[in-house]
Amino acid sequence: MLTSIIKRDGRVVIYDRNKIKMAILKAMEASGSTDFDKADQVTEAVESHFNNQNMKNTPTVEEIQDQVEHELMASGLDNVAKRYILYRASRNTIRERKSKLVKVFDEITFSDALDSDVKRENANIDGDTPMGAMLKYGSESAKDYFLKFLLSPDQAEAHREGYIHIHDFDFYALTMTCCQIDLIKLFKGGFSTGHGFLREPNDIQSYSALACIAIQSNQNDQHGGQSIVNFDYALADGVRKTYKKLYLKNIAKVCDVLGEKVSYDQLKEISAAITEKCGAMPKITPDETYVALELEELKKLVKDPAVAEKAQQFALTRTEEETDKATYQAMEAFIHNLNTMHSRAGAQTPFSSINYGMDTSDEGRMVMKNVMLATDAGLGHGETPIFPIQIFRVKEGINYNPGERNYDLFQLAIKVSAKRLFPNFSFQDAPYNLKYYNPDDVRTEIGYMGCRTRVVANTYDPNNEITYGRGNLSFTSINLPRLAIEAKGDEDLFYRNLKKYIDLCVKQLMDRFAIQKKKRVRNFPFLMGQGVWIDSDKLDIDDEVGEVIKHGTLSVGFIGLAETLTALYGKHHGESEEAQKKGLEIIGFMRRILDEYSERYKLNFSLLATPAEGLSGRFVRIDKKRFGEIKGVTDKEYYTNSFHIPVAYEISAYDKINLEAPYHALTNAGHITYVELDGDVSQNLEAFEAVVRCMKEAGIGYGAINHPVDRDPVCGYNGIIGDVCPRCGRRDCEGVPLEKLQRLGLYKHLNAATLGQCGNQLEEADRIPNRI
Amino acid sequence: MTYNPETKMVGEGVKFERIRRITGYLVGTVDRFNDGKRAEERDRVKHTPVGQ
Ligand SMILES: [Zn+2]
Repeated sequence: MLTSIIKRDGRVVIYDRNKIKMAILKAMEASGSTDFDKADQVTEAVESHFNNQNMKNTPTVEEIQDQVEHELMASGLDNVAKRYILYRASRNTIRERKSKLVKVFDEITFSDALDSDVKRENANIDGDTPMGAMLKYGSESAKDYFLKFLLSPDQAEAHREGYIHIHDFDFYALTMTCCQIDLIKLFKGGFSTGHGFLREPNDIQSYSALACIAIQSNQNDQHGGQSIVNFDYALADGVRKTYKKLYLKNIAKVCDVLGEKVSYDQLKEISAAITEKCGAMPKITPDETYVALELEELKKLVKDPAVAEKAQQFALTRTEEETDKATYQAMEAFIHNLNTMHSRAGAQTPFSSINYGMDTSDEGRMVMKNVMLATDAGLGHGETPIFPIQIFRVKEGINYNPGERNYDLFQLAIKVSAKRLFPNFSFQDAPYNLKYYNPDDVRTEIGYMGCRTRVVANTYDPNNEITYGRGNLSFTSINLPRLAIEAKGDEDLFYRNLKKYIDLCVKQLMDRFAIQKKKRVRNFPFLMGQGVWIDSDKLDIDDEVGEVIKHGTLSVGFIGLAETLTALYGKHHGESEEAQKKGLEIIGFMRRILDEYSERYKLNFSLLATPAEGLSGRFVRIDKKRFGEIKGVTDKEYYTNSFHIPVAYEISAYDKINLEAPYHALTNAGHITYVELDGDVSQNLEAFEAVVRCMKEAGIGYGAINHPVDRDPVCGYNGIIGDVCPRCGRRDCEGVPLEKLQRLGLYKHLNAATLGQCGNQLEEADRIPNRI
Repeated sequence: MTYNPETKMVGEGVKFERIRRITGYLVGTVDRFNDGKRAEERDRVKHTPVGQ
């Protein structure tokens, strides 16, 4: 006798015949023929089937539903059966998706980040903290919602099945990726963070502090990394103000010591009046007219004219050094802040990057020198700063060759990068960067954001082909190896599908753009409200941002060119010239289509060499499951980054650079080339520089050199550590006798009684001696 | 810093920091990276320097 059934979750519940009947009636309704009697008959038939079976086991919901389908068809109700099957299928998908989300929630709730890929998806968010976990719940539910309700079915399927990957999907309907922040414009007249108004900064310390605040504030309005496009030019203004302040204070000080009563405020007035007259002010390289006029005025203020001369001479000789010191401290604070501050619910350190290199003013040079020296010194205990990504613009005529004004800074950049991995190098002379460069307009200098994003061309507004105030709106990447595997050697089929998925991505980017367009200035209180984004200062708080965000880019990216070539032609572009030719054809094809779309829609579609991010493992996992292990294609845990030569392939730096450079010219939304060097490159700067110069000559747009940088927190050693620390001799996780450390001059003020279990300040300070 | 008064040893259980660049950003440890990224870092081979 049918009295109970087993539900999907395993629970046994009392059998309710009405449920079967209702489901049948719904199916009948959908097929347009409701018949209560027939529904009753089918229900009875299902019951008698189970009763006749003399069953030992209680039936499951699935078994009952199978039987309903069977009886419907047996009764000739084919259309109703069809509806019933469809209804079952749709309920199953919803149930399955619901449970997938629940599984993810389980993972966030109960597993440690070390075991959870979900929690480690963004390495900069600590998924183990309450705020980090809260962000993950939000992010996972948002993704679920967007996938079900905002994507068209073909887009959702392509994303779910891993043909494409929609980046920052959890922010799908919320905001845009990033913006190249122009600090000069932002600081002018002060700005508001949403938590209060900040006056225009008036010395290098406050410039540095406000630069951090700008990064932090904008981080809350956008989902990508934050970039300062003009770090040198902007912070130079802070140096100018500090110089002037210290200069006048020095004059006041000397006057005071020599018994003259001249106040700082008086001096400020005099200085302002002179500036009014001749346009110059006190600065590192003194302006002769200013100095002469100032001396005249000073003499009027003092009883003894010799004091005026002495005071001015003192200020002229001493102020530069003091300004330099203040600038160093400000840069130190800047780096320290960016490595410790948190935003986005307190769980994420902002991804930040700064561009500099081409400002040839004394003040801009002072900024660059000191930000690099502070990076070189490291954080409090000599740790390598993780943020910001620093990008040094290399340009012939400015810093590339001996004798050029900023050549010393280029050399410093090489030295610091060889120790700290930053700065990276961007190349203004690469033809596709040079073509936008106008020496009279700093806004045309090339900028790179974070791990590679590049925005400069402007099909929407060709009069504004600049980097300042613009950024990427959103990007979606194509799983190229999948298309190659599915083509089974049929090149035409590969290209047809590639075209199909580029079209699909463009459509999806346009759909997302349509959502972004409808946002209003008030949705981005900092980015738009403070005029950071180009032309947003012309909008009112309730205006839609639709027009101004057309300055941004919509990018299609790709991953795994190496695996794609291997799947299609048997070899990747590092192994064969023919494959390199084919690789350039594929990427050139993608770029051409996107250029056509740009022209058609007068929007900025661009091609991105995708930095892999969260999808490096995702695509290959799905493909391995689908196609099995294919040698050189799905046999690793990741697909190779964009157009890179596979990381495990033996190749010279020279060859790698020259093979990858032509792809930089094609990937106008951003690109980067890495070279891996062995050993302690800080001891071999010539080799390091040779790689940078090779990149420049080959036409690379943006490059960086990787090399091992290790540190032992116990003894503070910085450098390369093999199995054993060269300073204190311990192995990973081993202890060192306190007495041995003290013999090395470490922990010298401490003994067993005062050494803290988890660190105290004295003991930490004792560990600083890093400069060996 | 950890200190064990019985053995008079400092630093037991403290790992070396190995700064690496993964997808463009620096990290002090690869523990917090997902599996694909960790594997990519592990597989990297060094390139012969320019001019050698
Ligand atoms: Zn050590």
